[in-house]
Amino acid sequence: MDVTEVEVIDTKRAEPESAPRVAAASAVALMAATLAACGGGGSSGSGTGTGGGGGGSGSGTPPTVAEASRFLAQASMGASRTDIARVQVLGYSAWLDEQFAMAPSTSRWDALVAGGYADPSFRNTEGGFDASAWRKLLSSPDTLRQRVTLALSEIFVTAIDSLTGSGWKAFAAANYLDLLEANAFGNHRTLLQQISTNTAMGMFLTFRASIKGDPFSGALPDENYAREVMQLFTIGLVQLNLDATPQLTGGATTYTYGLSDITGLARVFTGWDFDLAGQSRAVASATPDFVRRPMINYAARYETGAKTFLGTTIPAGVDAVSCLTMALDAIFAHSNVAPFTSRQLIQRLVTSNPSPAYVARIATVFNNDGSGTKGNLKAVIKAILLDDEARSASVAATASAGKLREPMLRFAGWARAWNVASPSNVWAVGNTSDAATRLGQSPLRSPSVFNFFRPGYVPPNSAIATALLVAPEFQITNESTVVGAVNFLQRAISGGVGDLAADYTSLLALADDAVALVAEINLVLAANQLSAATAATISGALATMASGSDPTRQKRIYAGLTLAIAAPDFVVLK
Amino acid sequence: MTMNASRRAFLQRASALSLAGTAAPWALNLAAMGEAAAATATDYKALVCVFLYGGNDYGNTLIPVDTASYAAYQGMRPTLAYPLASLAATTLAPMILASDGSTRQYALAPELAPLMPLFTSGKMGVMLNVGTLIQPTTKAQYTAQSVPLPPKLFSHNDQQSVWQSSAPEGAASGWGGRMGDLFVAGNGNATFTCVNVSGNAVFLSGGTAVQYQVSTSGPVAFSGLAAPLFGSAACSTALQSLVTGPRTHLFENEYTRVAKRSIDAGSVLTTALATAPAITTPFPAGNALADQLKFVARMISTATTTSTKRQVFFVSIGGFDTHDGLAAIHPGLLTTVADALAAFNQSTIELGVASQVTTFTASDFGRTLTANDGSDHGWGSMHFMLGGAVNGGRFYGTAPVVGNGGPDDVGQGRLLPSTGVDQYAATLGKWFGISDTDLLSVLPNLGNYNPSQRNLGFV
Repeated sequence: MDVTEVEVIDTKRAEPESAPRVAAASAVALMAATLAACGGGGSSGSGTGTGGGGGGSGSGTPPTVAEASRFLAQASMGASRTDIARVQVLGYSAWLDEQFAMAPSTSRWDALVAGGYADPSFRNTEGGFDASAWRKLLSSPDTLRQRVTLALSEIFVTAIDSLTGSGWKAFAAANYLDLLEANAFGNHRTLLQQISTNTAMGMFLTFRASIKGDPFSGALPDENYAREVMQLFTIGLVQLNLDATPQLTGGATTYTYGLSDITGLARVFTGWDFDLAGQSRAVASATPDFVRRPMINYAARYETGAKTFLGTTIPAGVDAVSCLTMALDAIFAHSNVAPFTSRQLIQRLVTSNPSPAYVARIATVFNNDGSGTKGNLKAVIKAILLDDEARSASVAATASAGKLREPMLRFAGWARAWNVASPSNVWAVGNTSDAATRLGQSPLRSPSVFNFFRPGYVPPNSAIATALLVAPEFQITNESTVVGAVNFLQRAISGGVGDLAADYTSLLALADDAVALVAEINLVLAANQLSAATAATISGALATMASGSDPTRQKRIYAGLTLAIAAPDFVVLK
Repeated sequence: MTMNASRRAFLQRASALSLAGTAAPWALNLAAMGEAAAATATDYKALVCVFLYGGNDYGNTLIPVDTASYAAYQGMRPTLAYPLASLAATTLAPMILASDGSTRQYALAPELAPLMPLFTSGKMGVMLNVGTLIQPTTKAQYTAQSVPLPPKLFSHNDQQSVWQSSAPEGAASGWGGRMGDLFVAGNGNATFTCVNVSGNAVFLSGGTAVQYQVSTSGPVAFSGLAAPLFGSAACSTALQSLVTGPRTHLFENEYTRVAKRSIDAGSVLTTALATAPAITTPFPAGNALADQLKFVARMISTATTTSTKRQVFFVSIGGFDTHDGLAAIHPGLLTTVADALAAFNQSTIELGVASQVTTFTASDFGRTLTANDGSDHGWGSMHFMLGGAVNGGRFYGTAPVVGNGGPDDVGQGRLLPSTGVDQYAATLGKWFGISDTDLLSVLPNLGNYNPSQRNLGFV
């Protein structure tokens, strides 16, 4: 019935944007036709029809500079001349292999310790966290791993400000990102296991210290994690086809689980709490180490009775650790996991509206990486980025291709393009959440477990909605953030954020020639996707500025970068 | 934007009227109400939705204090229950019959004490057990699943959406926006019809009305337009053209539409705010909800300048998903809400618009009454309506029996709503100036209620 309601509302908005102002009689005919069309309607929500065949390997002729830059816009935290050259030399596939094999940089945890934040005076602060997160996003050489880690942090969401009850929030949050990073090229099932005993997740979704039911008061175990691990992390609310479209029975969707599945699964997540290594709480919490150790089970609080959910029953008497594994195995076996996860990863890396066929190709790899293994994220990432639909120039040229670059990626894109460094190594970017003056988004600072934006978000009253497309990042695109982000980036570009410093040497050499300057910015920052008109608008304006000295060149660079980064052609990655 | 909205409204009215008698009743209703509203809105009225994200714990918001039900409450949440003695100062005088014929008395949580004067002076009413419904639903019908139930019950994002729009996540419009649609044409600037001071909510998206998202500090201007971009006026001109020009790509075009709206509305509002009367009512510091409501008051103070007749506002506060630590967290949240609402109410008195502004609370859902260290996702809940026009000092709806698996809950004290959100909304909409017929279009489930039950009469 909700479908009907949505259709009613859609019909009302289905009037073509280009409808001319016409007399009432003509309008009647027009609207009647529109109504009839919509009444017939339940077309699928898929976007670009594409002739993508199997997964292109990227072998053959080396990528052009523009192609390599576009690839890096999807596969990294942002392109640079160095990375572009590397992609051209290696080709897409070998570049991915090189990234997969690259050693991780210093962990966020270790950076916090090195920064002195393990001192007890920081116990009740978030001190050092933002810097530890930004350092990785803006500068770590394993740029693909950082991009995937960021994506995972927007699917398996926690948020630092909700990690309450233990102190050492910065360490718990840093450790959580370190965990995601360590599993970014691993197996989805392992990741699921690890987050399910992770202290940050335990605090964020409140199953840390959840206790078995109390027949006297009628209290039941905390249902929070049981619900969200299914709804948001693995299977979603409705049964899906392999291509992530909903399975329809008589036109209706089928729920994956009901309230009894939640209460059943919640019994699994009982008895888990911090591993204090045999110390008293007071002694153990004098240092952050306990938030790094996986939670352990405390038998007295664990529900030993049978647990029934998703058509599975874990019999009474199974120990807590085995029970957790069995429960996660049961969830992981659900046929929704592959399409649910695959579609969201495509959305994070490549496009908001992958074709069902694209999703199905990736979900197939998710289900079997070719060696019989399910959940191989390395194989999934590679398949996503090498797919014809990701690489195709003709797909990219359609009017609904790609995705809005979320503000964090716009910022990192600039930083990576010109090798931004923190000379004092403090990465004093801070919390960038303020919508009016900063990015309106900040690492691991989503307002809720539903991330900054939902995978199915549709901007109301838009041509995107009329086209039955989704645009997740538009959920945080509003009258404040469109301005706040540009203003923040303008400050960053001109050296006004923390001690961040860009290396504009390559641009200084071009700055006297406005056209050449814009061409370089376009290639590296914007995947060469600034239209000719946009490039001309920018270079035309820059050409009116003084030149011939480093101070004047610098102003041209600042202005050129600000204009490019504000331009819709950059903001939307095709 | 304004022209576009007007054109759409024109077409909508024209087409719908001509379709009279054909199978498009919703369109007919839309058109009829559009004309009527535009013609009659000469005064000023505002609706303010205060959304408590996460699902407010009704059990520790409105506490049953008559002997029998307090004992039941205390038994179901022994570690979380407010001591009876702590509720004396906030016990509400009126008694109300519960669904089983017993007499119920309630107290506000002690932290809601700042709202007591509003209740006792008749400016605040309490809505009992309201929640998402498709139609009136009995426990037997729920158990037998013999009537349509709201989709995706107990899920945060979906129930937020159902509360706000009558459809789960992905809905295109909400009832605040649909109410706004009726008044867009009568407002001097269409953009100020639906104003969100807390981000993005489907509640305020209409068929034509677009929610204007503004920060608590007011409109934000592009630095590069407020002053020449790195000293270059030509670059400022380029910036303006890049971020506002129409685009072929759908996403690019939407981005520039938002930016253009931001610039256009921002300049109007900034000017209006500069000449608006100062608000001297003190708002609590360090209270994000109060910050939002203070800006709502400031926007209301510009209504005359901008020729705005009807406005729907949305503000919110998160953190109500109190699965654990409820005793530590929830009281602070209620304090924040009470302080903010009391200050906002005072500011409407200062502005002389107290009877023209009606504020109401909403939330994802209620929670369970049984509790561990916190409570879990529920359904029906208790809410508050306040303002000079509210017939306050009393309860609306039906008091539920306090229980676990009792006549009014579907287990664990998850209340089966006895009043639907559509009824709650229709009552607000009627006060706002929307006709009975038009309300049926704004609220798709309203027609499932007996006409005599569609207006609850609290305002």
